[in-house]
Amino acid sequence: MPIVEIKNVQKHFGANEVLDDISFNVEKGDVVCLIGPSGSGKSTMLRCINLLETIDKGEIIVLGEDINKISDINAYRQKVGMVFQQFNLFNNMNVIDNCILAQVKVLKRDKEEARKIAINNLTKVGMGDFINAYPATLSGGQKQRVAIARALCVDPEILLFDEPTSALDPEMVGEVLNVIKDLADEDMTMIVVTHEMGFARDVADKVVFMDSGIVLEEGRPEEIFNNPKNERTRQFLARVL
Amino acid sequence: MSLAKCLEILSKYYLSFLLGIRTTLIVALSGTLIGLCIGLLVGGVRAIKLDKTASGFNKTLKKIIDLILKVYIEVFRGTPMMVQAVFIYYLVYTNIVRWDKMVAAIFIISINTGAYMAEIVRSGIQAVDVGQNEAARSLGMSSMQTMMNVILPQAIKNAFPAIGNELIVNIKDSSVLMIISITELMFQSNSIAGTTYRFTETYFVTAMIYLCLTTFSSLILNAIEKKMNNTETSLPQSDTNFHSINIAKKGD
Ligand SMILES: Nc1ncnc2c1ncn2[C@@H]1O[C@H](COP(=O)(O)OP(=O)(O)O)[C@@H](O)[C@H]1O
Ligand SMILES: [Mg+2]
Repeated sequence: MPIVEIKNVQKHFGANEVLDDISFNVEKGDVVCLIGPSGSGKSTMLRCINLLETIDKGEIIVLGEDINKISDINAYRQKVGMVFQQFNLFNNMNVIDNCILAQVKVLKRDKEEARKIAINNLTKVGMGDFINAYPATLSGGQKQRVAIARALCVDPEILLFDEPTSALDPEMVGEVLNVIKDLADEDMTMIVVTHEMGFARDVADKVVFMDSGIVLEEGRPEEIFNNPKNERTRQFLARVL
Repeated sequence: MSLAKCLEILSKYYLSFLLGIRTTLIVALSGTLIGLCIGLLVGGVRAIKLDKTASGFNKTLKKIIDLILKVYIEVFRGTPMMVQAVFIYYLVYTNIVRWDKMVAAIFIISINTGAYMAEIVRSGIQAVDVGQNEAARSLGMSSMQTMMNVILPQAIKNAFPAIGNELIVNIKDSSVLMIISITELMFQSNSIAGTTYRFTETYFVTAMIYLCLTTFSSLILNAIEKKMNNTETSLPQSDTNFHSINIAKKGD
């Protein structure tokens, strides 16, 4: 059974039909890359999965539950982590406290245990040497790696990435993508909105091509990249590859 | 006006001035602190954005509370504190309890300051990037936990200059509380002037004392602000925790 099922989801902002009947599934342990031109609704789709937005029609089933019917949104969000384009590290605390806070507040871990888990995850993303640094002193790539460690600290079952490398200088894109690749190797379930087609080709189990609020095409990366069936997909790939 | 006369008044009546300074500082400081607490509460509640998933009942309740808080803010910012002071003092005194003048003074300056602080806190909160809220919520933190641990600390830091300014304002504006006869600096000065008939010299001394109090407060506030900014932008000075972890690891 898929861990995430998106079924005929619709969503509008005012008169703007942003999601216009979206359906796709994510299997446990898979990496699904959402690609498509900007403004096609990719971020909105992710935000709906995290309940930062609510949908108008359709269903989003995550871990067997219709998420628009659950009562404890906080408990749900803890299971579905999110990594943002702008990192969004807590500016008022250092790296380690960024990683400890939600463990203590949400999972009620004691501080010592939370600290150990935080250090493990920070070491995993190569940021173990920066635990006392404040976000303002880090580079974009470092911030994003901390943001990934912070998301991992609350033991999510699914991670959502919204263009995690789009705000980075080119030389820092690799270090962040490598961390995400490592997570893929550990069979973390992930939905990644990205413009890094090389990454999607290498790491994705499935690529979903979205255009103006609908899924135009989905399939294995080699199908999408080598034999796109849809003319719009072909045009888009010709532009970005 | 003669400076010699000023010094004479100061040396003769310094105890009265000191009592005035003491009362002024107590009223201004506690008014600012309690006002800040009121402001955090009122501004915090006003800045709460309900989840998209919130029920209709909660949304209506929020609207009603917002309206009440808005009325509080407008009334206390839109009328002079001197009028608030006499009105509230006599309202309570004649209808509820014969309260202590000091208590009344601190009460009045606190709710007055609270109205200003609420707006300061609210704009401080609004200046915090929405991404901070979304990141905290995406980790499963409640809106209250997010507000207390992530948003408010940053809002207070953003708003610190404006918050500090309220202290300066209160040191000066507590002078209107002489209307309810507490022994703050202005009230004391009036008594001294009334005794000496040296109005110009007495009030010159008073003005200089206020100027010293506000300048000194500004210096302290600036030092605190500088310190707050430094912690978040400087590289960690000593990394003792990290070293102890390294050592612990080697021992494993
Ligand atoms: N909160 C919002 N309010 C109104 N319109 C929005 C909001 N968020 C996104 N949109 C609109 O929805 C459309 C899709 O945006 P988005 O999901 O960010 O696309 P993508 O991530 O694919 O670039 C855009 O036209 C955008 O202007
Ligand atoms: Mg986007």
